[in-house]
Amino acid sequence: MNVEITGLTRRFGRTTAVAGVDLQAGPGVFGLLGPNGAGKTSLLRMMATAVAPTSGRLRLLGHDPSSYGPRREIRRRLGYLPQSLGYYPGFTVAESVEYFALLKEMPPARIPGAVAAAIDRVELGGKAKAKLRTLSGGMLRRVGVAQAIVNEPELLLLDEPTAGLDPQQRVVFRALLRDLGQRATVVVSTHLVEDVGAACAQVALMDQGKIVFHGTPEELAARGEGYATGDAPLERGYSAVLTAARS
Amino acid sequence: MTAASAPAVSRPAGRRPGLAAARLLRLELRHNAMLWMLPVVIVLFWLTTYRKAMAMPPLWNMRTASMQTGALIAFICPVVGAATWMGSRESRRRTVDLVAIAARPRWARQLATWAATTGWALLGYLGCVAVLYGVTAQQATWGGPLWWPVAVVAASLAAMSAAGFAAGTLFPSRFTAPLAAIAAFFVLALSTQPIHGSHSYWQISPIVTGPWDAGNRADVATFYPFLPDLAIAQVMFLTGLAVAVLGALALPAGPGGRWLRRPAAAIATAGLLAAGTAVALAGTGRMDAHGMIAIPALHDAASDRPLRYTPVCARTAIPVCLNPAYASYLPATAAGLRPVLNEIAGLPGAPARISQAAPIYTQGPGSSIGVGLAGPALSGVPPVYHLLLSGQLDGPALTTHELAAAMRADAGPSIVASVMHDSGGASPAQHAVLAALMMTAGLPPQGLSPGIMPIGNSASGTLPRGCQASGARCPTVRSSRAARAISELAPGAIPGSPAYAAARRFAALPASARHAWLVSHLAALQAGRITLAQLP
Repeated sequence: MNVEITGLTRRFGRTTAVAGVDLQAGPGVFGLLGPNGAGKTSLLRMMATAVAPTSGRLRLLGHDPSSYGPRREIRRRLGYLPQSLGYYPGFTVAESVEYFALLKEMPPARIPGAVAAAIDRVELGGKAKAKLRTLSGGMLRRVGVAQAIVNEPELLLLDEPTAGLDPQQRVVFRALLRDLGQRATVVVSTHLVEDVGAACAQVALMDQGKIVFHGTPEELAARGEGYATGDAPLERGYSAVLTAARS
Repeated sequence: MTAASAPAVSRPAGRRPGLAAARLLRLELRHNAMLWMLPVVIVLFWLTTYRKAMAMPPLWNMRTASMQTGALIAFICPVVGAATWMGSRESRRRTVDLVAIAARPRWARQLATWAATTGWALLGYLGCVAVLYGVTAQQATWGGPLWWPVAVVAASLAAMSAAGFAAGTLFPSRFTAPLAAIAAFFVLALSTQPIHGSHSYWQISPIVTGPWDAGNRADVATFYPFLPDLAIAQVMFLTGLAVAVLGALALPAGPGGRWLRRPAAAIATAGLLAAGTAVALAGTGRMDAHGMIAIPALHDAASDRPLRYTPVCARTAIPVCLNPAYASYLPATAAGLRPVLNEIAGLPGAPARISQAAPIYTQGPGSSIGVGLAGPALSGVPPVYHLLLSGQLDGPALTTHELAAAMRADAGPSIVASVMHDSGGASPAQHAVLAALMMTAGLPPQGLSPGIMPIGNSASGTLPRGCQASGARCPTVRSSRAARAISELAPGAIPGSPAYAAARRFAALPASARHAWLVSHLAALQAGRITLAQLP
């Protein structure tokens, strides 16, 4: 398992964002669903080693990230796209991806080829020399994905990756996710259940800091049979699980 | 995967830290705020430093001291502002999460950004220095560039950049950069305020080039080698400060692990120790007799030996010789003294040569500084009149014509008086002859025109004690000394007095007759055996 989580908790002051989560994930695309404030981003940030858990056990790629050496090794093999993507407007697309490749301590000789490949995979090859300040929101999101995958990560964490993408780009992106999931563990946090249905082999549903459902998309859809709220089977399953968890 | 089967923490093959760091630095150099500030600092340097330095005489010491102070003033705000801006970049651009999960330690990333900022600042500064030194090299007649002051400013830029970067990292706001720039300017400007005398710890301020309040002295490091003592202490302080600040950036938990924090703590401590030692050394500094700060622990005794030089001389009735650094001032100096020298040439006891001398500096109370000759103005066999020229060259205030007038007004009467052996208490006839010679040399007996500052040789050969060496800081002395020139040297020959009438009569004689009378009667005149009535 690339991700092994046991009793993971994260508190911010008096607020408990993640409350005793248990989760395991191997290679493949793993969907993380949930309403706003469910704790998805906090869980992803802990998995990205951006914040330390308050309590619980976390192992990533076989290492315990609580100490610096293993954490650094995890980070070399990690890709992360945060929900709120910051960027340096003066950088070009290629420079931005190269910058993060350098920060991930990729071997310098591999960087030019890896940067070009990552930019091509998000279909921004024609914009490689464009300044980030000239790009649309969707294009910036794709630059964010490119920097996340430039090191061919074994653990890829994507927080709302399809936000701002047009329908055609979302279709392309789902194909990219399926491709990445063949070699790596890809954890996708999203509001869009159709993304989960199209790309994820496993899905977890979070609410109020806890995982209230863990299974396949088909199992989630089955939970919604006979439930009225929602236009699609997955949406009905999503609503049914949430309603059951809160009742 | 279990813990037992987990792969060991290792570095993949092909990872070359040097090359990766170079690529990171290249990216930072291409996208650094300091790059955009370069036109600003170049314009500021031109306005505040280059033009001022070019208005000064082409003397390496003066222009270098002016450059050190001016460059700091020109560069501090842009450099601190840019460094602070770059330090706060990750928070301003909301990339904190993205870069926080990078494998490369945060400290390495910060050092790359700081190095790029400092690199651009140094490149701009060294370019400005190259132009200033290049032009000075073409104009200067003697000497060579002084590099320690250049190193002081370079170290200052590195330290300022580090401090600004740390401020931006600690307080990541878009308002931090302008506030830090303004604060740095005031810290630099106010850092000299507590200085009193030459033994102040505050001399460590990089804006201090020598004894504070001595002004920009032309003669410093001209007759004696430049003393790098204070500059060495300043470089040590600034480098230590930069190292301490940069080391402190790695101390929080975020930038790296324990393996990084320990050496970082050691580096920061070493930097603080170096800076503290430098401040202590600066406090032991004393102004030496040649107008420079000597720090005993850093002092090289070889620097106390005078520089060898071949003077440049003018073909006047009595040769006027100057240090070759002042060669461009020889024509004006000779022209100013020529009428006086024509009158006294060939007289018994007249100097065989007028020679520029090195001044002796003495520290007075507070920040006051005395400047004068080491011995009597006229000494040696054959007699040589020792001339102080430095005062006239303290800045762009004097034109060549004004310099000639000032030399004639101040040194002229002193030279004549030295021949008369007049000490102010002599006979009326001596006063009359002295006043007559000054009249024939073009010096009005009622005093000099206001605004011309006669500095150099008075009757005693020294400037008044308690007056700061910089003329601009002593305006009352500037005007009062002008009015006292005749009254001091020939107090008995004030207008309306019998001696004044005799002086006018003597001055009206043909030059040859006057000269012949003096040749035959000077000994008697000096002995006080000639009365007013006996003057022709």
